[in-house]
Amino acid sequence: MTMLKELAAELIGMFVVERRLTISVLAIVAMVASLVDFIGVAPLLGGAALLLGSLTLLVESVLRGARPPG
Amino acid sequence: MAWSTALTAVSAAFLASLVEVVEAFTIVLAVATLRGWRPAAIGTTVGLTALAGVVLLLGPLLARVPITSLQLTIGVLLLLFGLGWLRKASLRAAGVIPLHDEEAIFAETAQLGSQQQRVHRSLQWVAGITALKAVLLEGLEVVFIVIAVGAGRGLLLPASLGALAACALVLAAGAAVHRPLSRVPENTLKFGVGVMLSAFGVFWTGEGLGIPWPGQDLALLLFASLFLAAGLLGSSLARKLSLGFA
Repeated sequence: MTMLKELAAELIGMFVVERRLTISVLAIVAMVASLVDFIGVAPLLGGAALLLGSLTLLVESVLRGARPPG
Repeated sequence: MAWSTALTAVSAAFLASLVEVVEAFTIVLAVATLRGWRPAAIGTTVGLTALAGVVLLLGPLLARVPITSLQLTIGVLLLLFGLGWLRKASLRAAGVIPLHDEEAIFAETAQLGSQQQRVHRSLQWVAGITALKAVLLEGLEVVFIVIAVGAGRGLLLPASLGALAACALVLAAGAAVHRPLSRVPENTLKFGVGVMLSAFGVFWTGEGLGIPWPGQDLALLLFASLFLAAGLLGSSLARKLSLGFA
């Protein structure tokens, strides 16, 4: 049982390295999906938003990691 | 299948799997050094068998899932996985968090063993389980990498070949040096892997959402360049920031 828990924790940990980064990435994907599927924004524009959003989130997350806590 | 696409899948799966296999091999090596090759080999064999079961179970299921759903799901997971690695690698390169050291894992596992020297039989069992867990956990990550890189466009074979090549390389290197593979520049490797996984993540997620990337697979090169630049920029800014706080 402990091993199964460790397995689950390890697998979840692969994707949730930092909670805020994970939530932000999921939010960007949801936003792009909504823009393309429901609002009718050009798919390529949605793609650009996905790419630039991911790049921005990466830099922001690294900088946040470099600041001392508190 | 274009050779350039297959080559990208092989190299992405190879590099990503290399990191995981090095981690698993280091732990198995520590177990073998402490308790002999028998528990290490048994643990490794059981771990690999369990892993084969997972692959056999997952393989047929994948064929029944619609391709766009598969691309979207895998793309998002890959993006999360890749950005996580890239974030950590950037922070390590900036000196904000310590480098992940295979020697430290070796020493940690060795210390764990010395604390329990009195119970020989239990230790053999614990050693075997330790090897099993390492192989199963890291192996699952390799399986995920192969599925993530290969399942979206029927590239499972090249991705599997990339992962197998990584296993073969680590085994050959391990047999040659008989030491934890601390000479592998792990953070550089992780940086590169993070770049490639993030690029694949954006690509598959976009494909799953119906985005027609200009240049199709060639867009991956642009994405990888941009993620590399963003990672290096983040690392450079983080170094300045942390020095400012010091």
